[in-house]
Amino acid sequence: MGGCACATLLPPAYLLGTHNAAALEIAEKLDLAGKLRLADLALDAAKKAGASYADFRLCRYQDEYLEVKERRVETSATGLSVGFAVRVLLDGTWGYAASPLATEAEIRQAVTRAAQVAKASQPLQSRKFVLEDIPAYQDRWDMPMKADPFKVSTNEKIAKLLEINEAALKAGADYATAVFAFVREEKFFASSRGSRIEQTRVRVIPETEVTVIDKATGHFSTRAGFAPPRGSGYDYILSYDFIGEAAKAAEQAREKLKAKPVVADTYDLVLDPTNLWLTIHESVGHPTELDRALGWEANFAGTTFVTPDQLGKLKYGSSLMNIIADRSQEGGLSTVGYDDDGVRSAGSEFAIVKDGIFVNYQTAIGQAQLIGQKASNGCAFADSWSTFPIQRMPNVSLAPNPKACTLDDLFADVKRGIYIMGNGSWSIDQQRHNFQFGGQLFYEIKNGKLGGMLRDVAYQGDTTGFWNSMDGLGDKSTYFLGGAPNCGKGQPEQTAPVSHGAVPARFRKVNVLNTARKDLA
Amino acid sequence: MNLNEADAQALAAKVIALSKADSCVVEFSGYDNRHIRYAQNMATTSGAPGNIGFGIESHFGKHVGSASGNDLSDEGLAALVAASEKTAKLAPENPEFLPPLGPQKYAKGVSFAPVTEAASPEMLAASVQPVLRQAQEQHLQASGFLEVGASFSCFATSKGLFAYHRSTSVQHTLTARTPDGTGSGWAGTTHYDFSQLDAAALGAVAMDKAVRSHKPAALPPGKYTVILEPSAVADLVGLMIRDEFDARSADEGRNFATKKGGGSRLGESVFGKNISIYSDPSDPLVPGTVYSDDGLPAEPVAWVENGVLKNLTCSRYWAQKSKYRPVSSPTTLAMKGGTTSTAEMVKQTKKGLLITRFWYIREVDPQTVLFTGLTRDGVFLIENGEITRPVQNFRFNESPVAMLNRVMAMGPSVRAYGEEVGNFPISVPTLLVDGFALSSVSDAV
Repeated sequence: MGGCACATLLPPAYLLGTHNAAALEIAEKLDLAGKLRLADLALDAAKKAGASYADFRLCRYQDEYLEVKERRVETSATGLSVGFAVRVLLDGTWGYAASPLATEAEIRQAVTRAAQVAKASQPLQSRKFVLEDIPAYQDRWDMPMKADPFKVSTNEKIAKLLEINEAALKAGADYATAVFAFVREEKFFASSRGSRIEQTRVRVIPETEVTVIDKATGHFSTRAGFAPPRGSGYDYILSYDFIGEAAKAAEQAREKLKAKPVVADTYDLVLDPTNLWLTIHESVGHPTELDRALGWEANFAGTTFVTPDQLGKLKYGSSLMNIIADRSQEGGLSTVGYDDDGVRSAGSEFAIVKDGIFVNYQTAIGQAQLIGQKASNGCAFADSWSTFPIQRMPNVSLAPNPKACTLDDLFADVKRGIYIMGNGSWSIDQQRHNFQFGGQLFYEIKNGKLGGMLRDVAYQGDTTGFWNSMDGLGDKSTYFLGGAPNCGKGQPEQTAPVSHGAVPARFRKVNVLNTARKDLA
Repeated sequence: MNLNEADAQALAAKVIALSKADSCVVEFSGYDNRHIRYAQNMATTSGAPGNIGFGIESHFGKHVGSASGNDLSDEGLAALVAASEKTAKLAPENPEFLPPLGPQKYAKGVSFAPVTEAASPEMLAASVQPVLRQAQEQHLQASGFLEVGASFSCFATSKGLFAYHRSTSVQHTLTARTPDGTGSGWAGTTHYDFSQLDAAALGAVAMDKAVRSHKPAALPPGKYTVILEPSAVADLVGLMIRDEFDARSADEGRNFATKKGGGSRLGESVFGKNISIYSDPSDPLVPGTVYSDDGLPAEPVAWVENGVLKNLTCSRYWAQKSKYRPVSSPTTLAMKGGTTSTAEMVKQTKKGLLITRFWYIREVDPQTVLFTGLTRDGVFLIENGEITRPVQNFRFNESPVAMLNRVMAMGPSVRAYGEEVGNFPISVPTLLVDGFALSSVSDAV
């Protein structure tokens, strides 16, 4: 298959400059009628090949990446990627094929390749995949957005990035980097169950960092920005005070160089939501993925300590802990109308942890019935037209305290603690027990009051011990939606965008390391 | 989707002819992959994706812009050329811009095997089948990923440079677990030649480790003498060179190689005298891509020689500014090995640990290249020269820069797969290391 027809037939058409009518049928130029026609062709061919289920995804990704270092533009780039995938279930075995050329001939060949892969894999299929009933939808869903970033001029965006760096450099940074990345994702999905769904969403990904140097000592420190990526328009960029933060970041990085090194010990921690969202992602989002519990990620992302027999029983955290999954939250990177299995996800909020008890996994099709549940809760995602949809996170968020509680209220009950803001390094084991997280800024808490800056802080813990030690939680006025554009999972590896809402929370007696200590063991 | 050299060159020339910029750089790349993914002794999500892409960077004076896409129709190419030119015109001048290079001389690539390109889904399934049979016979659960692919890339400039590389790749990793979830073993490899793959032998290694790691005991955290198998070494050394060996950041004062008071530590003894790390794209064990940054030939480079820091990557711009010389990013890596077998290392260890591989490595402190991460899929206690029992996993906090000053013995350098470096061609030895910092226990299996 490596020497497939694509490699031998297509290039000469490009090279000869012939008018390749078929190639012009790419998704970029297709209207809905054209997409429907190609979908019918793919699904009909799959049926003829013997597939009991098939789906066809035709996607278009547009992106822009702008990077400014100090006072110069390092990168100004745009990108466009278009292609399709056909997935078939043949006698209980999956096979798929993907190609950038959405021509009739290529779609037929892709169906043949997908069926060939499935047939070749059948001798390995000790248990057949069975899919639940999936309702059919004919729908269109578009992410609500005020200002389309692709309609804002590149000049304006670059000017903003230069302004951010200028503020940092003026405030004493030796180096400054500012990035804006934008992605528009357009997906057309059609399945043999009858669904025909068009969806569009946009991601805005800002990243900033300043560095300060102390030449005399050879030491340096950095401070990364707190602005998370969002499923939003350019209005998000306009609403965030990047300039103010850049200046403050330069001062804080300088302060960090002279900050007091932390003494390794156990401390009470108050974690700002700019830090806690990632801890939620790693220690709650990933462990509650059903494919991990089923062992399907054992060779890469890992399994999980949250086994199906613990559904409804595991005391994941204190009674203050409520973790909600949704695909509807405004600005959420996982917010979408339908998942990549064609399961309706908008409005289908569900609890993962309720009053501290584990109550639900995230699922994709073909999984839920394996633990006695009826159907997928709409958590499938493929990061490209060229990849297979696997179970990925919806927005997974820590619900605010229903009772009034501010950040100062959380500090008030701490005699000796540390307040941590922003994300530093992060790492967690393959079953999601043992973690270690850093941060950007660390402050002492003494007798209920916030004190001076600390440095070289990282906290270690085990997931359930940590969440059961939570005894303070901010209210909805403290809510912050963090997130990552690039969560990795699957083989071949896929990266998914995901958001996590969080409020500040207080955790008791957490192990804190001094990362600059020579003797770390 | 792949192009041969002549077709790639013709396509690049066609795009360059469309350009209205002062100069431009054009890149094409494509692949055709097949993979079988399996878990719990059965196939899961297998497929055959392919793609071909194109990128152009246009220059007007020092104004630079780029665009990429995968619509290679005449209209698509013209649209991308226009998009990159529009972006370039909008961009402010880049004071660090250097005109693209003219023709260069490249070595012949040696990382292509026709047998890999021709490997069909049926051949992949036939490789995996004995692994699953073996797992079922031993009442173990096997999960893994076997991927083969053929790919090409080319780099061309309007000044006459044209570089082309085609390669094939094979990756097979697998994890075997005991059904009670208390034992786990792993094995993995990469190569460019499918005929070199012995999936059943890899399966036997993973399954043996799964059985032997069953019901591990807990040991306290601390500093241990460790034997690091090649996968673990590949991740630490590969990450260090890839992310930290940079002349500019060293000169700017923000790197482990920064000298106190300014400048870099090039020429200084930074590692133990027994450490040497090279890259050579013609290395038969780990051949690499023949070209690198800016289309510069990927030449043999000594990064560390007998402990001395010999080279850091250096862009053309920084070379000009710092009066150094351009040093491209490596496209392959080889750490010089020794002659001590793993069995001999075990024999000479009074108390220590044998570590299979690492997981989730992240940098904690860029100043010292302190990494954290975890052991995974097989840690074994060594007592008085013998492996005595399996032990639980640990989190480590350790710097490869510091660690490579405490290497007591090395095995032969072998081709290795590390989770963090993936398919990057790298050969490293098994290492016997003193005082490795294991800072907490993980009960994950």
